[in-house]
Amino acid sequence: MPPRRTGNDYMDVDSDSDVSILDEFEQTTKAKAKGKGKAIDRSKPSKGKSKAKEQPYAWEASYTRSWDTVREDETGSLQGAVQDLIARGRRRRLLAPAAAIRRSIIRHLVLVLDLSTSMMDRDMRPTRFDLMLQYAREFVTEWFDQNPLGQIGVVGMRGGVGERIGEMSGNPQDVLKCISERHKLEPSGDPSLQNAIEMARSSMSHLPTHSSRELVIIFGSLTSCDPGNIHDTLEECVKDRIRISIVALAAEMKICRELCDKTGGMFGVAMNEGHFKDLLFELIPPPAQRALARTGGGGVSNPAADLMMMGFPTRLPNTSPPSLCVCHSQLKSEGFLCPRCLAKVCDVPTDCDICGLMIVSSPHLARSYHHLFPVKPYQPVTSLEETPYADSKCHACAAPFPSNPTQVPGTATEGMSLLGRYRCPDCHHVFCTDCDVFIHDVVHCCPGCGK
Amino acid sequence: MDKPSHLSVVVDLSPSQWHLCGQSSNSHPLPLSAFLSQLLAFLNAHIACNDENTLSVYGALPGKSILLYSSATAVPEEFTGPADPNTYRPFEVLDSTMMNSISDRVEALTDLEQEPPIGLVGALTKSLCYINRMSNASSTSTAAGGVQGPVVLPDPRILVVSVSPDESSSYIPIMNSIFSAQKLKVTIDVCKLYGPESVFLQQAAHLTGGSYIYLERPDALLQYLTMAFLPPPAVRQLLSVPTQDKVDFRAACFCHKNIVDIGFVCSVCLSIFCQPVPVCSTCRTKFPIKTLQRLNASKPAAPAPRTPAPTPPATSLPRSQSIGTPRSSMGNGLVAPSPSRNGTSLPPR
Ligand SMILES: [Zn+2]
Ligand SMILES: [Zn+2]
Ligand SMILES: [Zn+2]
Ligand SMILES: [Zn+2]
Ligand SMILES: [Zn+2]
Ligand SMILES: [Zn+2]
Repeated sequence: MPPRRTGNDYMDVDSDSDVSILDEFEQTTKAKAKGKGKAIDRSKPSKGKSKAKEQPYAWEASYTRSWDTVREDETGSLQGAVQDLIARGRRRRLLAPAAAIRRSIIRHLVLVLDLSTSMMDRDMRPTRFDLMLQYAREFVTEWFDQNPLGQIGVVGMRGGVGERIGEMSGNPQDVLKCISERHKLEPSGDPSLQNAIEMARSSMSHLPTHSSRELVIIFGSLTSCDPGNIHDTLEECVKDRIRISIVALAAEMKICRELCDKTGGMFGVAMNEGHFKDLLFELIPPPAQRALARTGGGGVSNPAADLMMMGFPTRLPNTSPPSLCVCHSQLKSEGFLCPRCLAKVCDVPTDCDICGLMIVSSPHLARSYHHLFPVKPYQPVTSLEETPYADSKCHACAAPFPSNPTQVPGTATEGMSLLGRYRCPDCHHVFCTDCDVFIHDVVHCCPGCGK
Repeated sequence: MDKPSHLSVVVDLSPSQWHLCGQSSNSHPLPLSAFLSQLLAFLNAHIACNDENTLSVYGALPGKSILLYSSATAVPEEFTGPADPNTYRPFEVLDSTMMNSISDRVEALTDLEQEPPIGLVGALTKSLCYINRMSNASSTSTAAGGVQGPVVLPDPRILVVSVSPDESSSYIPIMNSIFSAQKLKVTIDVCKLYGPESVFLQQAAHLTGGSYIYLERPDALLQYLTMAFLPPPAVRQLLSVPTQDKVDFRAACFCHKNIVDIGFVCSVCLSIFCQPVPVCSTCRTKFPIKTLQRLNASKPAAPAPRTPAPTPPATSLPRSQSIGTPRSSMGNGLVAPSPSRNGTSLPPR
């Protein structure tokens, strides 16, 4: 999911053109939110208050939700309606601004889980606690997918203290393991926001300046038992430039809102299961960096930015003759060779124990490049005359285009092509709807232009 | 081989590289015509293995990429007449469709002084789009658009037959294709016939669980193809298919498109540069002077021709840390000796 929401606050500093796109975008989003099956609050939480009434709270929701919005077409088939819904949602995603946004991609995040007794409430099924664990796992997996060089630590809040559940780690498996054992995380007692934040803050204090520090708190309680003044903690977090984002499961608390607002994080109250997931997953895309005002020369001076020397290793297969690794002094076949000193290390990313070079596998870095060079949105083809390549087939998958336009009411206004054809603005080749979505969401590379 | 499988083949049809590959001064020359006949035999074998096997073939030509053959498209008019009793109809259709489209395209090529880079990325992304559509069509089980493909698409794979050297400007698109292949669970196999080892294709095969094989005897292509690439990945685990020796994780720098093993990376956007730069050209972040001075001081001396020093002798201290790390290829005997790891860029072709 492109990070259009997270970036809003900072992007207007960037350029004026972005602002207009975003405003327009926000309006279309609001207009269409009704059409969505799930209760997704895409607008700002504060503005979204009035809209929240239309959507069911978890405790007053009936069992029918996702199929409420689907209607049969004239022939009594649901297929068209469902596909239209999906296609619209996807196409809207493509309307996000194409400009590359600065992101601090080396992220450090502490996930703070509420393990107080209030998490045993059953207003979210099966319980808030089980749902939180399930979503936390999905969150971690997806987060590492999008932030390959990032690290996650886990802190729990129960019995009035903060509890370190998982150390900062860059390995998704480590993080998943520490939140997989349900019986070790059994909720008890009251939560303490201050203790947990202080614990998270201390675990991020040693980090280098160029990394971003974030705290994501899932908070189900309406109280917090703190040993001191939490506003002092807040001041410290602002000073350390830690972003705090909170997903509340019960109701809005003033202190939570303040923690998020003052540190530049996001705050949201989950209304039901789907909304909870949406709020959490909106925190996955890298936050746009707090852009400093652009100077006349076009350059941006960013004190947190740095240039790092990295080595790209050679991987040895497990058929190679065993040799000692420099990290554990164990006899092993597989491993990675430091490109500078040719020492063998077991795992990347790491710092070479011999020469100190930071060794990363280049595919790790490359995973984030599609953020930097996104494919330009394709333009819907509205008439057959305007295209220079009057192909009868999709340029990518060679599927023949439908010969007669499918008339779906209301689609033309939303950037959908009635002909099911979309043209690349650079190479002018024409693509089908499936490929359009696939290219922008997954491949991030236009088959016509080859870049 | 009970289950049907889908195979997409990307054929590198760079005229200049094929000219070099076919030269009789090579120890084992493989001219294009011999290559095509061996490839066709392999493709025939694939569709003969299972009635429901599907196939699509892409050609990567200078500056563009085209679909040469697809088993999903309807059989053209000229094959509806009485058949040649001596040939199996599907083979005949495949062979003549392939040869016709190749000869059409090759004749259309103009005699340019400077050959544009081949459309490998285009061919790769097109085959991914094709596989994506096939899997979509099978998941919704609506054979829309007259697709007569099978309902399930297990084990989709892509075989890249490459003769050209790495096009370093296509580093990012190739990596993006690799990641989308991972998402689609597509295996990418690489058969390198000629030219220097391909860093990018090595990574592609490694990251998608495929095999990368550099042919020592290009003239024995058909044997390699049938032994290593004909069985689908599920079956291959039971066979002793030559595995990849080493994977070279080098990347291309954004500034000069050099392939580097030590790079300077912007902490904001992760762009890679081959030397310390004051401003990131991608995100325009300015870097602190202090860092630049430090990096310039510690930079590996003279990046361009870093002494093609002999790699094997284990004399230097760090080298001795990794006792007996292999420098030359091992075991299967199918992997060609890799170029010296000390060169910072691939040898120019
Ligand atoms: Zn080790
Ligand atoms: Zn080293
Ligand atoms: Zn298509
Ligand atoms: Zn294009
Ligand atoms: Zn460079
Ligand atoms: Zn940058």
